[in-house]
Amino acid sequence: MNAAVLQAAGLNKSYGKNHVLRDLDVTVEPGKIYGLIGRNGAGKTTLLGILTGQNTHESGSVTYGGQPVWENQTVLGELCFSRELSETLVGGRNSLKVAHYLNAASLFLPHWDRDYAQRLLEEFSLDPGKRIYALSKGQRSMVTVLIGLASRAPVTILDEPAAGLDVVMRERFYQLLLEDFGETGRTFLLSTHIIEEAAAVFEDVLFLDRGKIIEQGPAEDLVAQFHTISGRADEVDRVCRGLEVLSTETLGRHKTAAVRCGEEALSPARAADVDIAPMNLQKVFVALCGHEPAR
Amino acid sequence: MRGTLNDQSLIYLQIAAGLEDDILRGVYREEEQVPSTNELARVYHINPATAGKGLNLLVAGGVLYKRRGLGMFVAPGAAEKVKEKRRSAFLDGYVRPMVREGRSLGLNRGELLAMVERAIGEGESE
Repeated sequence: MNAAVLQAAGLNKSYGKNHVLRDLDVTVEPGKIYGLIGRNGAGKTTLLGILTGQNTHESGSVTYGGQPVWENQTVLGELCFSRELSETLVGGRNSLKVAHYLNAASLFLPHWDRDYAQRLLEEFSLDPGKRIYALSKGQRSMVTVLIGLASRAPVTILDEPAAGLDVVMRERFYQLLLEDFGETGRTFLLSTHIIEEAAAVFEDVLFLDRGKIIEQGPAEDLVAQFHTISGRADEVDRVCRGLEVLSTETLGRHKTAAVRCGEEALSPARAADVDIAPMNLQKVFVALCGHEPAR
Repeated sequence: MRGTLNDQSLIYLQIAAGLEDDILRGVYREEEQVPSTNELARVYHINPATAGKGLNLLVAGGVLYKRRGLGMFVAPGAAEKVKEKRRSAFLDGYVRPMVREGRSLGLNRGELLAMVERAIGEGESE
């Protein structure tokens, strides 16, 4: 099966009264590294579970290459969602060994690369005989990263892969990811709420907010639409007239406005006595999704 | 290339500008190969598509050229092309902001020109 498009349309999912995903649409094209960015509790993990047929949903469809994902073994073999390992299992601590997880992965993932898995075990200094509850948070993250990478699945999904890793391991993780991507060009979808250091790794980003994907597309194109304009408040107000202002901050007579507009609409501001600065992905995310959760 | 990237301009522009700097400094000479998209991606932790965009910008400007199946190479006369391009951007990028800053500080024409003269003189005596 060749790399294909993973697509969800009209997804709805609730946990009790909590409506987590609302008529959500998303398209994941082959050969790109995607960043799924959302706040805590935005429904990132739920969405990833549904995309890979691990979670149920109330309505909507998920397809890979046009075929439904749910309980479809041919398609599920192409998708790897390496979930965070839990310290506990039903009835107590998780006393499965690292080797059990690797063995299960090799059985369920048809593209599993045993040699690569072995190299990564050594690279991460992981002992396959160790039980999951005895691993540190960082080591548990390493196991999920290892399974995702060694799966060699055409679509590989990692949930907060960097969250438990220390700064050295995070750098190494991005390097391994980019090396693998350079070789295979397979699709990666990574969820994160730590945006800054991962921003440049993503080709496309998906912003998940209040149960919907509110932005999707090339990260650079998105970021290029946002600027801050700062200077004397009256001058900033004057040049911002007619622009889409997302947020403002005033400090005495000084004002900073975050705006979304094209280069052409900025030209009056460029001629004025104000400073115009680009925004980074993290600031763009805060400007778009930094509202009160309950609003 | 610069050691690290910043978020003050788009990354592919920084990749292109960094390679231009290296061509001016003689890090990469005419007909020599420059790093591939995957090498740039790995070193700077950026998406290969972004690195490729930076390289392609230089190909479009005639600074680099593609050898099929081999990679990207520095074009003959590349350093001169980079200088020419930067010269034409010098007025907007350096001189106009300098004049604007001088004006906001209350420097008059004579004072500003005298400073420029002085800086040129210092550069020559070095």
